[in-house]
Amino acid sequence: MDRREALRVLGAATAVPLVSRDLLALGRDAHARWRARPEFRVLDADQQALVTTLTDLIIPETDTPGAKAARVDQFVDVMLADWYDVDDRQRFLDGLADVDARSTAATGKPFTDATPAQQTALLTTLDDELARLREAHQSTSKSFFRMLKWLTLVGYYTSQIGFEQELHEHIIPGMFDPCRLLDAAARGGED
Amino acid sequence: MAKTYDAIVVGSGISGGWAAKELCEAGLETLVLEAGRPVNPDTDSVEHVPVWQMKFRGNRDRKAMLMRQPVQRNCYACDELASKFFVDDLDNPYTTDEGKPFLWIRGRQVGGRSIMWGRQTYRWSDLDFEANAKDGFGVDWPIRYADIAPWYDHVERFVGISGQAEGLGQLPDGQFLPPMGMTCAETHVRDAVAKYWGRDRVVTIGRCAVLTQSHNGRAACHYCGPCHRGCVTRSYFSSINATLPAAQATGKLTLRPYSVVHSVIYDPAKKRAAGVRVVDAHTKHLIEFRGRVVFLCASALESARILLHSTSPEFPNGLANSSGQLGKNLMDHCMGGGADGTIPGYEDRTTYGNRPNGIYMPRFRNVKDRSPNFLRGYGYQGGAGREGWGRGVDQAGFGADFKRQLKELGRWNFGFYGFGECLPRPENYIELDPAKTDAWGIPALKIHCAWSDNERALLKDMSVAAAEMLSAAGATDIRPYVQDNAPGLTIHEMGTARMGRDPKTSVLNGNNQAWDAPNLFLTDGACMASSSCVNPSITYMALTARACHFAVDAMKRREL
Repeated sequence: MDRREALRVLGAATAVPLVSRDLLALGRDAHARWRARPEFRVLDADQQALVTTLTDLIIPETDTPGAKAARVDQFVDVMLADWYDVDDRQRFLDGLADVDARSTAATGKPFTDATPAQQTALLTTLDDELARLREAHQSTSKSFFRMLKWLTLVGYYTSQIGFEQELHEHIIPGMFDPCRLLDAAARGGED
Repeated sequence: MAKTYDAIVVGSGISGGWAAKELCEAGLETLVLEAGRPVNPDTDSVEHVPVWQMKFRGNRDRKAMLMRQPVQRNCYACDELASKFFVDDLDNPYTTDEGKPFLWIRGRQVGGRSIMWGRQTYRWSDLDFEANAKDGFGVDWPIRYADIAPWYDHVERFVGISGQAEGLGQLPDGQFLPPMGMTCAETHVRDAVAKYWGRDRVVTIGRCAVLTQSHNGRAACHYCGPCHRGCVTRSYFSSINATLPAAQATGKLTLRPYSVVHSVIYDPAKKRAAGVRVVDAHTKHLIEFRGRVVFLCASALESARILLHSTSPEFPNGLANSSGQLGKNLMDHCMGGGADGTIPGYEDRTTYGNRPNGIYMPRFRNVKDRSPNFLRGYGYQGGAGREGWGRGVDQAGFGADFKRQLKELGRWNFGFYGFGECLPRPENYIELDPAKTDAWGIPALKIHCAWSDNERALLKDMSVAAAEMLSAAGATDIRPYVQDNAPGLTIHEMGTARMGRDPKTSVLNGNNQAWDAPNLFLTDGACMASSSCVNPSITYMALTARACHFAVDAMKRREL
């Protein structure tokens, strides 16, 4: 039994009756102004495929959907287009090119065409390089892989899939329990 | 001939909302002038908008803010959803001295900053009211705790404050609704600190203006979390959620948004304020409104700015400025000394719901003991929760195992974050900038403000004492820090039209009445003669209600 699922059910059962559902829906719908799938504005088709592959290796499909299903690639493109400065955007695109260059050097194929084992090996190398920066207390702010990881985690866990299906979070918990026993929650919320 | 209102209130934020309520309920025809647009809690609240519907997932729109809100973006609450409640910095300019930044965080709309305020509510004590008299900074307060205590009761009963009575002299208890709960790690730290320091250092749940049960027609909190984005259930206190609707219900309120107050009109024959001049934000035309009494509640810097701009042959340096103190003695709490640490254990426990509140530790320095390093003191806000998925960014790994790890919860992290008292000093002051105006043609402020050695010493001590207490609580990985936050960022700016006992050294008397014009009142943060170290809003509310009742009584006696 998934304790998060139990929490979700419990949360639904304890919604505050004073809160009118219509009232809550009002604020929600009035501000749903950014829903449509945007055109990709920075990533070309190959880069988009590479980002999709990389992010889905970081957060893959398990018993819940992964980064690909959560459309983290779209989020990455929006951030590259409208959030980062030119330097950071270029660093990310250079990082993508580097991934393909390394893959080609090692396997003769661009990353998306490599085998899962080859992809995992290269990603392990990138992750190890980032870990060494951290261990040496060097700045990780210019690291492509850290940028990719940040974008993947933010893009995934703030998506509807990440928030609802993976984390079982609720926008309106309806209560605050300051010290809840995880086991009790997993048994169905007896506390 | 233009209508003469019984009362004009300038500003609709936390102080203006209270003035509107009290004056309207006393039967006065009251005009509330608000510089910004109307805000409707039903349609403008955005706290339940899922972040995946937002372009940047709730992260601030970085480039847009760099363009239009380079100051406001420094505030934690100015995010992608709530940035609409913060001003456009290009329309609302101000200047500072080179190398002396001041961050002026502002909200210009009906409700003002009460929409995105931090909701922490703490009473002052005589330790605060006597501070100036004891160490000689500033001038003595004309009032003591006994003068304001009944007014704290009065406003707290309406506002609805959740909190825990502790019986501490330096932090008087109030009219409390049931407290919010403390997390496992918070209870752990509370008990450990009590073991070492007894009642000298008390960890208590934050006292906050968020309802833990339904109150005066407003619903209990549903723990969604981001209060600064608004509240459709009116569960936290704000002008638009509580005081303005109460004022409206009397039938005595006229609320005029888009009314940028230009100056107060002075009548030299009667030696009184005759009304106010307003720039209509749409037409840019100058309009005059007449009132029997005028309440300035536009925020500490705005109210002082209006008076500095209210020049006349009698008051060439600004109305109510015969003392020369108008605009001087600017203060803001110094914040950001503290420490974080990991609390071992409680791995089988977590929190559920988003508590819009933390813990509080009342001031303990210079209460019984006397610190050799600084005057006055500080309190801590803080709290503890378990780390979530965000820790994964700086953690090795990827793939299915990594995803599973991040689904589980991380360590319990506890943080103490200090807020210190700022000394009133004439060197920190505002004036009208002769060369710059805002979008409505009103002179911008030039703000001169910097911390003194005393505030720097407080910040350092906050860090050391926090680490010491975390250590006593058995925390690991203790991380002390001292932030370098510019004044203004705490958003507790105050002191620019201080109360006092002597017209020669203060702007306002003990009833928030201008010495120079008896029907002119100023009840926002400008009136503060010192800053204490606690969050100030409830004190502005209490002083406003008190001044309103004084004014109404004086009007009944035909003294005003």
